[in-house]
Amino acid sequence: MYKKYTFHISGMHCGSCVLITEGELSEINNVKSAKAKMNEGIVEIEADFGERTDKEILDELNMALDEYGYTLSLEKNVVPKKWKDLFYAFPLAIVFMILFIVLQKMGIVNLVNAEKITLPTVFLLGIIASLSSCMAVVGGLVLSMSATFAKEGDKFKPQILFHLGRLLSFFLLGGLIGVIGDFFILGRTSYFVLGLISGLIMLILGLNLLDVFHFAKRIQFTLPKFISLNLLKIRELNHSLVPFLIGAITFFLPCGFTQSMQIYSLSIGGFVSGASIMFVFALGTLPILSLMSFSSVGLKSEKVKSIFFKTTGLVVIFFALLNILSGMTAYGILPPLFNL
Amino acid sequence: MKKILLFSLFSLLFLLSACGEKEDTDSKRVITANVSSEGGKQLINMMAKGGFEPNETVAKSGVDSIIRVETRGTFDCSSSLVIPFLDYKTNLPPTGVTDIDLPSQEKGSTLFGSCSMGMYNFEIKFI
Repeated sequence: MYKKYTFHISGMHCGSCVLITEGELSEINNVKSAKAKMNEGIVEIEADFGERTDKEILDELNMALDEYGYTLSLEKNVVPKKWKDLFYAFPLAIVFMILFIVLQKMGIVNLVNAEKITLPTVFLLGIIASLSSCMAVVGGLVLSMSATFAKEGDKFKPQILFHLGRLLSFFLLGGLIGVIGDFFILGRTSYFVLGLISGLIMLILGLNLLDVFHFAKRIQFTLPKFISLNLLKIRELNHSLVPFLIGAITFFLPCGFTQSMQIYSLSIGGFVSGASIMFVFALGTLPILSLMSFSSVGLKSEKVKSIFFKTTGLVVIFFALLNILSGMTAYGILPPLFNL
Repeated sequence: MKKILLFSLFSLLFLLSACGEKEDTDSKRVITANVSSEGGKQLINMMAKGGFEPNETVAKSGVDSIIRVETRGTFDCSSSLVIPFLDYKTNLPPTGVTDIDLPSQEKGSTLFGSCSMGMYNFEIKFI
């Protein structure tokens, strides 16, 4: 005898989650059909579980969904909004922002006085770039993405793939710049649009990390649904291909140092020199960017984690606004508002 | 808790004052020292490294000008200079001197330039 069951589901946040949930549940014995409704946060199942209690049924269903981080329950699971943790996150974020601004005011970019560019100089420039205003652009993106994945329980793979994508694209595109010239160097409008898009992504992820607003929840790092051919591969792709591609795209993000290095590679010419300059530069940015990627690894207690993600969220929002506003200045939409 | 909040508010004010370095320049009606003349044109000198120096220039209106930007081991954002209202974008050499032609500007107008990310900028006021 098939009966209809309705459960509340938590942990579902994207289009592909619906597909995964429905796919996993309908593969369970006795389940005839499963329909997930993301907006209402419920799953409707038509199944024949005989005389088993609701609790036993839930346990079996939850086992199938466990690896994806979704949970079914009879009662609506109200996640307490941890506003209180913001009291700690706010001052922490401010301290970080002050450090960032002081570092710029101290003139960290003036540390390099080289007349001649050698590979060790390029490496040093990479380190300085990752501490300077480029941190607001690339660092902000790294921080928001890494923290978002870490929050979903994935602390290493997506982050490592991001850095691999970045290193690989700097190597290949750097080489191409050396061969075919300024084809890969973007114009003013392209930089503006790319900067704006990455700023908006950071803003949304930052708001998500705060965990106090619900409207931003639905927007996640996901591939469009039509690419999602194989249900089980979706999550895997979202956590591998997406960070890899984002890493690769950072080649084009507006960061002054990156652009200087691209121009320099262009002026030198040749695949090998272009590739090695851009690769070594990306390598120089790696230590600081990795630090931002893996800063959540050691955190154990839920309380500390919540404060950490909220702090990260605030810093990311600060960087995002800084990027968007200064991008508008560079495009002539806004007058200069600040000078780092 | 209150202490933390107060500290945060105080720090936020500090942050805002550190970033928004807008001074009231209406009192400064004097042509700045980096402005001279060369070959019948007004010459505005500027240094680009970790920002633009001087940050604010006051120059004469109604004459053709040259903005001469010097770079010395400049690899940061200030090497990619944009002047939005002139639709001008250039990549300055790491070390060298770059001249930018500037047609005569209206009295009382302000021209601003910035690096391609917009985080460093400069202003030229024409009086």
